[in-house]
Amino acid sequence: MTTEGLVPEETRAMIGELLSEPLTGTITAKEAQRFALAADDLNPLYFDEEAAKAAGYRTTLIPPIFLAWSLAPARPVSEVREDGLYKSAGRRVTLNVKRVMFGGEDWEYFEPVYAGDTITSETRLKALDEKSGSSGPFVLQMTETTYTNQDGTVVAKAVGRSIAR
Amino acid sequence: MTEQRYAEDVNVGDEMPAMVKNASRAQLFLFSAATNNPHRIHYDKDYAEVEGHPDVLVHGPLQGAWLSQFVTDWAGPLGRMTALSWQNRARAFPERDLSFKGKVTGKREDGGRVLVDLEVWEEDEAGNVLMPGQATVALPGRG
Repeated sequence: MTTEGLVPEETRAMIGELLSEPLTGTITAKEAQRFALAADDLNPLYFDEEAAKAAGYRTTLIPPIFLAWSLAPARPVSEVREDGLYKSAGRRVTLNVKRVMFGGEDWEYFEPVYAGDTITSETRLKALDEKSGSSGPFVLQMTETTYTNQDGTVVAKAVGRSIAR
Repeated sequence: MTEQRYAEDVNVGDEMPAMVKNASRAQLFLFSAATNNPHRIHYDKDYAEVEGHPDVLVHGPLQGAWLSQFVTDWAGPLGRMTALSWQNRARAFPERDLSFKGKVTGKREDGGRVLVDLEVWEEDEAGNVLMPGQATVALPGRG
């Protein structure tokens, strides 16, 4: 590893560390349903308590993909950048690259997530793998987020992949 | 949601019936709102051009939510999705058909339940794969 690499030493030292403070929130049926409706997914397990119970669940579920969006705190307009995105609230992962592209996600679901659950998420920098592709060297950046419910049970884990070059 | 699918009725090589989505611009706006996502590339065409896109883009997570729906609808209410992954490969635009397709690639016993592995993907009207992925579902038995 040379100092001219794409991953500065001080950034590499962040691997395994939390990228932000843990987020905690109670997910309501209403916001879970707003997500499901916006995605046009009318699964009765998200809307109909009787249907959820008939399928063996305690109450209605939240859509699995909504977990990633359910905990983000509301933020003031003054924190919105020119491109519309919010200014970064977490620690910056600084790389010697021009741009970062979102690459995909890997989710594992261990336990159901119910409307009304209080979920805590922790996001860590999982890996910074330097690779070389047809258009030159790049870094595969991976973050891992763990979702834990009010009983201390890990309900889901998500690995996000980005390509930085 | 579809009716229940049982482990006994699933075989490696089975094709999943396709699901077609076509997002209106209003739906993109509603999804931005539901996820508190103010990124302008999803509602401001002039700005999307600044970032090099010919039109506003369908959100990656909306496509992820559709892939999830495709899998959970196939599995039925008693099925459980235990894993879902996808690779964002190309842009998706509103007011165009996006098809979700898949097939069964594996079927295995795991601690008294049957897990079914699926290869799933999203493609555009020309058949280009925009988002390949994999999923695993636990299916109930008829017994």
